[in-house]
Amino acid sequence: MSENIVSFRHVSMQFPGVLANDDVSFDIRKGEVFALVGENGAGKSTLMNILYGMNTPTGGQVIIKGKTVERFDPSQAIAMGVGMVHQHFMLVPSFTVAQNVTLGREPRKWGFVSDLKKANAIVDGLVEEYGLTVNTRDRVQDISVGLQQRVEILKTLHRGADILILDEPTAVLTPQETEELFSVIRRIVREKHMTIIIITHKLYEVMAISDRVGVMRSGKLVGVENTCDVNERILASMMVGRDVLLGELDRHDPEVMDNDVAVTLDHIQVTDDRGLPAIRDISLELHRGEILGIAGIEGNGQSQLIEAITAMRPLRGGDIRIGGVSIRKMTPGQVRALGVAHVPEERLKTGVSAPADVTDNLIAGREKEKRFSLFRTHMKRKAVRQYAEELFEQYDIRGAGVDVPVGSLSGGNMQKVVVAREFSFNTPVLMISQPTRGVDIGAMEAIHQFIIDKRNAGCAILLISADLDELFRLSDRLMTIYEGRITGEFTPSTIEKTEISYYMTGGSKEAQA
Amino acid sequence: MKKKNMLEYLLALLISVVLAMAVGALIMLATGHDPLEGYVLMFQGAFATQRALGNTLAKAATLCLTGLATAVAAQAGIFNVGGEGQLYLGAMASAVLGAKLAGMSPWIAVPLCLLAAMAAGGLYAWIPGVLKVKMKVDEVITTILLNTAAIYFCSYLANGPLKTMERGISSGTDSVDPAFMFDKLIRRSNLTESLFLTIIITVFIWYLMKKSTTGFQMKLTGQNGRFARYSGIKSDRLALLSMVISGAICGLVGMFEVFGLHKRFIVTVSNEFYFDGMLVAMIARYNPVGIILMSLFFGAMKIGGAAMELNAEIPSTLVVIIQSIIIFFMAAEGGVTTLLKERISRRRTAATLQKGDQA
Amino acid sequence: MNELASILNIGLLQNTLRTATPVVLCALGCLMTDHVGMMNIGCDGMMLIGAFAAVMGSWLGGSWMTGLLLALAIGLILGLFYGVFVIKLKSDEFIIGVALNIFAGGVTTFLLRELTGQSGTFHAPEGNLSVLPRLNAAWLDNIPVIGQIFNNNTLLVYVSWILVLVCWVLLYRTPAGFWFRSAGEHPQSLRSAGKSPEKMKYIASVLCGMLACLSGAHLSMGYLTTFSENMSNSRGFIAVACVIFGRSNPPKVFLAALLFGFIDALGMRLQTFGISSALTSTFPYIGTVLMMVLLVWRNEQKKKKLAVSGLR
Repeated sequence: MSENIVSFRHVSMQFPGVLANDDVSFDIRKGEVFALVGENGAGKSTLMNILYGMNTPTGGQVIIKGKTVERFDPSQAIAMGVGMVHQHFMLVPSFTVAQNVTLGREPRKWGFVSDLKKANAIVDGLVEEYGLTVNTRDRVQDISVGLQQRVEILKTLHRGADILILDEPTAVLTPQETEELFSVIRRIVREKHMTIIIITHKLYEVMAISDRVGVMRSGKLVGVENTCDVNERILASMMVGRDVLLGELDRHDPEVMDNDVAVTLDHIQVTDDRGLPAIRDISLELHRGEILGIAGIEGNGQSQLIEAITAMRPLRGGDIRIGGVSIRKMTPGQVRALGVAHVPEERLKTGVSAPADVTDNLIAGREKEKRFSLFRTHMKRKAVRQYAEELFEQYDIRGAGVDVPVGSLSGGNMQKVVVAREFSFNTPVLMISQPTRGVDIGAMEAIHQFIIDKRNAGCAILLISADLDELFRLSDRLMTIYEGRITGEFTPSTIEKTEISYYMTGGSKEAQA
Repeated sequence: MKKKNMLEYLLALLISVVLAMAVGALIMLATGHDPLEGYVLMFQGAFATQRALGNTLAKAATLCLTGLATAVAAQAGIFNVGGEGQLYLGAMASAVLGAKLAGMSPWIAVPLCLLAAMAAGGLYAWIPGVLKVKMKVDEVITTILLNTAAIYFCSYLANGPLKTMERGISSGTDSVDPAFMFDKLIRRSNLTESLFLTIIITVFIWYLMKKSTTGFQMKLTGQNGRFARYSGIKSDRLALLSMVISGAICGLVGMFEVFGLHKRFIVTVSNEFYFDGMLVAMIARYNPVGIILMSLFFGAMKIGGAAMELNAEIPSTLVVIIQSIIIFFMAAEGGVTTLLKERISRRRTAATLQKGDQA
Repeated sequence: MNELASILNIGLLQNTLRTATPVVLCALGCLMTDHVGMMNIGCDGMMLIGAFAAVMGSWLGGSWMTGLLLALAIGLILGLFYGVFVIKLKSDEFIIGVALNIFAGGVTTFLLRELTGQSGTFHAPEGNLSVLPRLNAAWLDNIPVIGQIFNNNTLLVYVSWILVLVCWVLLYRTPAGFWFRSAGEHPQSLRSAGKSPEKMKYIASVLCGMLACLSGAHLSMGYLTTFSENMSNSRGFIAVACVIFGRSNPPKVFLAALLFGFIDALGMRLQTFGISSALTSTFPYIGTVLMMVLLVWRNEQKKKKLAVSGLR
């Protein structure tokens, strides 16, 4: 039981400008569930990518089953029994489940033609053996995220893995799906004697599933402990290097107390990029001086909800009124002019122009304002720069200054650029989506306080987040969304997270009663 | 940071040009010519006489305009590869109008012809622009195909319905009123008064791209269209506008050829002028100032190349080869630099780690 | 009615096949690069160089076979060249493609003059150039229409039909094809399966180079029987349009190329009715643009239908 199956010896990984792993040494024992925790950017994923051969370390050794790894290459790692389920799934969307599972080692007939029938049979066998139910003939693009994860696990099993790395496996799962995943993990460890390495930053999951836990901070290994010897608080302080979790927020009654309705949604219907219905029927009212949180599993229409309100996506039915004005036929620019700012869910795709410098990103959308232009035509570069520097200071953006491309900033600072720009419009309505995704704890605390300040000042804020903790911390009101419909409305202080997850997965009040 | 990028770019450019010229020299050697003689002839051919200088400037002006036409569309994220066709239609429209308006005061007629050329080029660019913006039809393919279509169509007009009745002219439209023609600035050279218009347009485009709010919005549209739309910029309209401006400039270039040199539309009004300009724009990475400087350099090469062909029987297409090799090198520059940097940093880390082990 | 019948005769179908073939071959190459996620718009230039290489090979080697071999060898080098720039050096594929096209125009003109002392169009000094053989099956001659269409075509016409099938089987029925497609759709998943997406991309760009040059060989030794400057005449771009239109699926791309060939042949047919050749020459280009518009329009309609049915 205590035999070492994987050993890291002084492993270092230098990327241009970043030392991602700094002299890391520890062992993983056969048949255990080993949790690797740390903040974003602590080097967990890099280390596991090295174990899986995706990265070649710049120093040190990795020993798997007594053999030192000579060549870092996934096919080598696979041959040594290592399998990895990446945070972003490594699946080809247009291929079937069986095609994905057998990719790279397809069964053949006549030497060169792929035998799909046999592939289906093989994968069906694996499904049976490990109890990971999924239809092998479905295309991956048509199945849920939870099922896609199963496909990933099946893939590693098909390749004969007995060391399984799971990179942030629960980030996209519902609490129920997480529970199912954990029972699968427990079963395969018990029955098939597999070794599991699970990367996470959710500490209660560490306590729930792991035997031992390793903590990483800024590239270094802080320590390895038996899970039964530690608690969440100890782990958290090891992770951040200080003894605090999130501080209290300065929340007080909003300055504007007239409780006006700022945004009204009236039976709206919206489709997604493929033309399939994303929002089937939603009506709600957003008041001034409140944060309305929307909780839901990703892909249930919450992204499209905010896109519809900001006119980034056309309405197929119903109506949206902002300050009493219908936005049915409006462009995003016209909606902005009504006083709506928008922190979008995908930073790089929508929130910034990565090649443009910080200055340009901070003033985008207001270049024709009088303070920045003469006759709406000539750009006053000096005024623009000065203003950008002010915002840079005010929102505590850290980076090499306002002249570098936004794409070169860290995720947290890039998000601060987005927040700085959108909040500085001083609009009465704010649409905020995933404000702290991929952001470190320091920046997260700052962004949370910025949001609360806006609420205190009387803004109407709609908040969408995949992070339930964040929603509970910030929201005045919570709604759950499921398959394009609102399934419940709650006050955060009077409901448990587990109950919310019941509504997030399609439960309804009637059914429960 | 910006300065450093600029220096890196200039260094890369210098290396690319030198390497490409070296490849050109090798080609000359391989085909039995003296490279030194070739390049000397090229230099003389571009600068030695007043007339040569005039031709070089005229060529540079054409390259500059077509290069800016590429750049202004590229700034908004559209690749206008169809400038050649827009140029032909501009030349045709202005030539026909110039012949029709014969006898009118040049002060009225020439501006009308300018407008006609710009309208023809702009409209022809508007078609692929609309297809791209409204229907997401890839503009690279459509513009290229519309090039060939326009050239065939103009050749049909010049040999068919619009063919001149003048004696001794086998193909081409009626000639425009001689009073409308641009005067030569240097005798017997191709340099005409159109140079002044070129300068005005160049300054305007530079201002538009670099100093105006519209240029800023175009830039954001080109870098990330979704972000631009999200920021409230009417990105579709801007992309279309930039395409129409690009086409209008190309139309003007066609008009300058007719009103400066040929007097009428002829099928050989352009010899891939737009593609030459596009190369210049690509080498200058769509930077307007870079395009101005670069077009002087390539203008000299083009004119010098022709002289080289005449005097040393080295085909002038060698210049095209050298140009495209410069582009290959420039396009590879980013990749080569990254590879080198990676190798250096890897070696450095290995060295420091070794030191650590010894300590 | 009579006129219509005289336009739509067997010659039209023969010409359709003849003009479509270079586009088919080039499109097959282009589709390979599209599947691995690097659409090669430089294949027009590759085609031109292939046409030149084939004629030079045939002239210098004295046989169409040496011409074909030289074209394929040059195609291999061009494919590698394109691959090194786009894959290894991560250059912009659009810029490399455009530069390749311009380079091709320059280098073929240059070499034509330097190697043969001729310009414009190549005339073999010794008289006839060895060109691709035409294939004939005597028994087919007895079947009226079929015989006329399917007989007496040059070698590469038949090869192109076989290659359409081969490419389809390769892409959709073999492991190698799965690796190709995953290299384009989701390269990381292929890498994590222990296969190199870069390798797939290299293979695809080499295949593209060889197929594009093969199509050039057909152009200069089958479709016509000599090389002339810029003879590819944007056919490479029509091939790219066909790939987009046929969604990179070989049989569908083949049909798109046939449609192009039909428009081209129709234009040639109309010339015999006194319509200017310059005017009818615009047909295939405008037709291809219309085809692309139609494709997008059809997709939009589909999406709308889906949305309406979904919301109900």
